[in-house]
Amino acid sequence: MSKVQQLSVSKTSVSKVAILVLAIVFAAGLFVVGFDQGHIFSVVYGEQAFVDLTIHELTHDMRHAAGFPCH
Amino acid sequence: MKSVLFIVIVIVSGALAGAIHGTVNFAIVEPYLDQAIGIENENLFASGEEDDNPQFWADYEEYRVWQKSGQVLAGIILGVAMGSLFGIVYALSRNSLPGKNDVTKAVVLAGIMWITVYLIPFLKYPANPPTVGETETVVLRSILYILFIAISGFGAFAFYKLSQKLQSNKKYLGLIGYVIFIIIAFFVMPENPDEITAPMNLVNEFRLMSVLGVTSFWISVGIILGLLWNKFDNSKLSPDYS
Repeated sequence: MSKVQQLSVSKTSVSKVAILVLAIVFAAGLFVVGFDQGHIFSVVYGEQAFVDLTIHELTHDMRHAAGFPCH
Repeated sequence: MKSVLFIVIVIVSGALAGAIHGTVNFAIVEPYLDQAIGIENENLFASGEEDDNPQFWADYEEYRVWQKSGQVLAGIILGVAMGSLFGIVYALSRNSLPGKNDVTKAVVLAGIMWITVYLIPFLKYPANPPTVGETETVVLRSILYILFIAISGFGAFAFYKLSQKLQSNKKYLGLIGYVIFIIIAFFVMPENPDEITAPMNLVNEFRLMSVLGVTSFWISVGIILGLLWNKFDNSKLSPDYS
């Protein structure tokens, strides 16, 4: 006689590569919104980026509103 | 779940929740930011650093428009970032979370992360509006804030792992251990070095709106990721015929 048995198996198998990709997205996004003081654009614009603070000003209001330290 | 699908639903849920966060902020936090920046401008005029003239106000309008226009965009970027962390933790802890479906499980985890990586760090280092915060201390304050988030987040994870090794009737000791640990960290970590010179009613109302905004993110990301996971996960309960 056959019986139907329901197993409570709900595997959550995601690859380590996916975890790594999301970890990089997390770190990069957090830096952009929470901590950049011209660092990212300085790669292209040099010291001027630390004066212009383009990304800092763009994320300024969210930075304050989300609780990150600001000037 | 396939890796690409997992990454996509995590990023989409983070982006949508971030857009909600940015929109909520736009409605309830912006008035307080304008008020605080108004005080900042008055201080600049009083100290002689800036002159109250049409050129100043033209420049001011230009950069305030730029700052305000970034509220929702920055919300999406921050949402994708925090949503990614949430997705990682959800994938790794899903089988241990209480709840019969992914929405319940994800909302429970969002609540836990709201407390451990937002509310507890906020109680130690609360949000401040513009005009509070010295430029010279911003690096120190950033280090303290991120360090306290890491201490609280990794502390919660460590005590959770510890509780797994305890007998079922003693698992609550993990929670007690975390509470004691975070209270010690709370008093050991240095205070924010900056003095608050703005009116306290403005600062407190800003902080309340800030909490409401961030809370809207955590509720949204839990519900949206849970719904998407329910929809696209194909490793649900499967009948076993024997």
